[in-house]
Amino acid sequence: MTARTLFRTTGRIDGAELAPIDGLALRPALFARFHDLPALRYDYPLVLVDGTPEEPVRSLSRIVDGVLRDVAPRGLEGERMRRAVLRVERDLRRGIAHGAGGRLGARWDEAAAQVAERGGAAVRQELATIRAALTVDGELLDCDATAAPRVVTHLWVATYAAKARAMRGAIDGLVARLEDLVRADRLRSEEGRGADALRSGIGTAHRDAFDFDVMARLLARPSGPSGMHPERRRRIADVLVTLRAQHFFLAAADPYSFVFDRIDTALATFRRRLPDAAALVRAIAIAELEVRGHYVEAVHDAHFARFDERSLAAEDLARFPDYLVRVAGPANRAEIIGALSSGVPLKIVTTTNDVVEETATAEPAPSLGAQLATTAMGLGDVFVVQTPSASLFRMRHALRAALAFRGPALVSTYGGAVATGLPPYLVSAAALESRAFPAFSYDPGAGADWAHRFALGPNPQPEATWPEHEVAWADGELRRSTARLAFTLADFLLADPRHASHYARIASGDGDDGLPALDPDGRLHRVLADDRMRGAARRCAETWDRLRELDALKRPAAAAPAATATAAPAPAVEAASEPAPAAAASSDEPWIETPRCTTCNECTTINNRMFAYNENKQAYVKDATAGTYRQLVEAAESCQVAIIHPGKPRDPNEPGLDELIARAEAFR
Amino acid sequence: MTMEVTRCLLQASDERHELGDYEQGVPRWCNGCGDNGILTTMQRLCRDNDLAPERTVFVSGIGCSSRLPHYMHTYGFHGTHGRALPIAEGVKMARPDLTVFVSTGDGDCLSIGAAHWIHALRYNMDLTVLLHDNRIYGLTKKQASPTSPLGTKSNTTPQGSYLEALNPLTVTLGVANVSFVAQAVDWIPELLYDILTAAYRHRGLSFVRIVQRCPEFMPGFFDPWMQDPRRTLILRHASGLTLSPAIAKTYTNQLEHDPSDIHRAREIASDEEPIPVGILYRDDDVPCYEDVRHAGAVRTAEQVRRGLAAELDRFTIWPDGAER
Ligand SMILES: Cc1ncc(C[n+]2csc(CCOP(=O)(O)OP(=O)(O)O)c2C)c(N)n1
Ligand code: SF4
Ligand code: SF4
Ligand SMILES: [Mg+2]
Repeated sequence: MTARTLFRTTGRIDGAELAPIDGLALRPALFARFHDLPALRYDYPLVLVDGTPEEPVRSLSRIVDGVLRDVAPRGLEGERMRRAVLRVERDLRRGIAHGAGGRLGARWDEAAAQVAERGGAAVRQELATIRAALTVDGELLDCDATAAPRVVTHLWVATYAAKARAMRGAIDGLVARLEDLVRADRLRSEEGRGADALRSGIGTAHRDAFDFDVMARLLARPSGPSGMHPERRRRIADVLVTLRAQHFFLAAADPYSFVFDRIDTALATFRRRLPDAAALVRAIAIAELEVRGHYVEAVHDAHFARFDERSLAAEDLARFPDYLVRVAGPANRAEIIGALSSGVPLKIVTTTNDVVEETATAEPAPSLGAQLATTAMGLGDVFVVQTPSASLFRMRHALRAALAFRGPALVSTYGGAVATGLPPYLVSAAALESRAFPAFSYDPGAGADWAHRFALGPNPQPEATWPEHEVAWADGELRRSTARLAFTLADFLLADPRHASHYARIASGDGDDGLPALDPDGRLHRVLADDRMRGAARRCAETWDRLRELDALKRPAAAAPAATATAAPAPAVEAASEPAPAAAASSDEPWIETPRCTTCNECTTINNRMFAYNENKQAYVKDATAGTYRQLVEAAESCQVAIIHPGKPRDPNEPGLDELIARAEAFR
Repeated sequence: MTMEVTRCLLQASDERHELGDYEQGVPRWCNGCGDNGILTTMQRLCRDNDLAPERTVFVSGIGCSSRLPHYMHTYGFHGTHGRALPIAEGVKMARPDLTVFVSTGDGDCLSIGAAHWIHALRYNMDLTVLLHDNRIYGLTKKQASPTSPLGTKSNTTPQGSYLEALNPLTVTLGVANVSFVAQAVDWIPELLYDILTAAYRHRGLSFVRIVQRCPEFMPGFFDPWMQDPRRTLILRHASGLTLSPAIAKTYTNQLEHDPSDIHRAREIASDEEPIPVGILYRDDDVPCYEDVRHAGAVRTAEQVRRGLAAELDRFTIWPDGAER
């Protein structure tokens, strides 16, 4: 058995051909071009924008691009300004990468001052112009293990604010209208019409000019029912107390908090507050009925007397804030899945820093954190987003949708904080690249099938099992070589010391097989992965392929018939014919083409017992015996739309019949 | 916003309305006046859409036609001559939750109120506007109006009117933000009902010109059209009017017209013979001014008082030493 086969199958290193990688701090060769991350422009740092803007989370580089677009002169003329601004951006990014943190405005000013110092007056002037155009501010955020909870919390606040504004607006509106009712009642009352009330209604400047006692005597009693019923007054007063004292929506005093670090506390708090929520909904409903004047005691009293949390409609509960729970690690999968299926509107955000765990048999297996999202997707009605922190920004729309979703949501993230000395952004981007932690979302409300509900996120080269890259290196003799290499789970885990036992460095030999890896000095090494690691990579690929299959459901199969056959245009004229009015059958009876009647009152004025209006206020012959044939003929003649048909006379002795029959001829 | 609980309760105790619930008083219009049929159609529309009388407003200017709000048992505002539209806009700004209809005459809307007409179209607030066009000033006993045909003899034009009539449809279709334009005739109640229903359902300003008979001052004027169905051109379309068999049989002169085609709508509008009847133009995507301006914000009594005081203070002359 060769040394390589021995290592692959058993993980044992024997002989001089292979050597352990422990302590070498190797990293995948692909990372070479990212050795100075802050010099590159990418999504991070993010800006958690102050207030409740349209876009609560923005990327610094995009903000800068926007400002340059607005301010910098086009072409060569704007070149110096662009260069200075990009330098400020880079310095700022470098500071953040070294843990500076802070707010965009302040950090920008520091970085700009230094660039201006070096650049002189012209640059200073240009940077001042840029600064004036930089109108957004907020906390700066680098990519680390806290990025996901911070971004999600910031987005959650925006969702909460929108909900709270809507509800607070509605509540304030109801309070104002109920107060109007109370005030109107007071003004109409004996006391409201009295001299004292009148006096207090006039400004101090002209008070002496009036005799309020006389005015009070002159004021007539208001018309209509007098005063509000005491029962109603009490009901409105109670409702006002509840509406003013609510704690859920931008409450003035003692507002509830909805952000938690423990699932059990969040669940318990939600349940404890339910009676409060029910009382508030009850008060709003009563108020809504009251301001419409639709509260009917005989009907509604009983309903509201029994109203409690069991009476809450799902739609109404959805107007309340959701509970955000930030769980550090997905340690307790059962608790998370249990909470998500409890029907409580929890938004759980978890961050794991392990995508793979070593099992007892030294088998690298997907970690709980890596499986959490797919498990939650199986629950069916949970909104699920999975993303490494590197792609948080590009997944922001899915994140917002998850937070706005009416029901539970899980945001499962990978933080990339591994003891490798590599920046977490790089590690987390590599997790995305290697399919170890793909980005995707599942929105149960987005449609009836998986094709609509499931969507892959910004995974690179999604059509391939593994993404491939051109990697270039120089060998011992400084000969340059390039190769197109797949980036797999095995490449990704190479840098993680916890899995070092699955790798061996090829210490001798020609060295163009194995995984290319670099040490901190930039020297190229070739590394072998054992069969267990290769098995893990294969399983990872299978999981990824399943996700791709789900995503492929979106594209209609080539053979399938066109999804929607164009509906045949509805015939403008329906074939069915309307039954003729019964009276029309015999032209002896008088009749009216009622649907054509224009309610002009001509016929009803002639004889309102003979002609009457139906429920649509259109005329028909109500009683042909209630008048003379002459009246029928005259009505027919005065009907401008000529829809009255007098028929034949019923009284052969009516005077002047011959002439009338001749006149009726026109209306047969 | 209405809570689901409230909605269920309201639905459970939903009062069904009868046509009579919307009737009030006895109309003082002449017998045979087209306004009678328009009134009935509006009452039917309110009933069939179960409009709560206390949440429905009819606004008008001055004229025979502007008396319509008096006969509706809803809220009403009989305004001043030419000002129906600005009043209706004010109602809608303050209470976007109310359903607002406007009745206005050819004199009221197209003459003294012409500026308001143009700008109301631009504002595109959610109003249903009925232009009762009898082509004459009725209330003031026969003066030529902007739509009086050339040569109309009237109290102001005893030798016959001198000017070509204005076409309210082509003007309306030329204004920015126009979102719904239709034409009806008062003597085909079924189509009048269908057109006004479509206008009511449209969100935005729906402008319906109703060709209206005034037997008192324009006697027999529309007889030629009433007596010959071929002189009415019915516009039909799957997204416009669909015709009942009875109408289709009587009015055989029909045209398939897609209301989203504004150029074709303008062509049709400019043809006055035969009279086009139906929905000429509709665009559901034009923004409503009340939405753009987020109207309907609640004002507390205190805010109203402060606002009024601030306005009045601009005109107040304070004597020296007076307390402010
Ligand atoms: C400011 C002002 N100017 C003039 C009048 C007189 N006036 C009353 S109604 C009317 C015309 C109404 O015509 P129209 O709008 O066509 O209504 P109709 O009576 O024909 O329905 C006029 C000029 C008035 N009331 N107020
Ligand atoms: S005269 Fe003709 S249009 Fe007038 S009410 Fe009678 S049937 Fe109707
Ligand atoms: S004058 Fe003309 S418009 Fe006025 S009520 Fe009489 S018929 Fe109608
Ligand atoms: Mg008129």
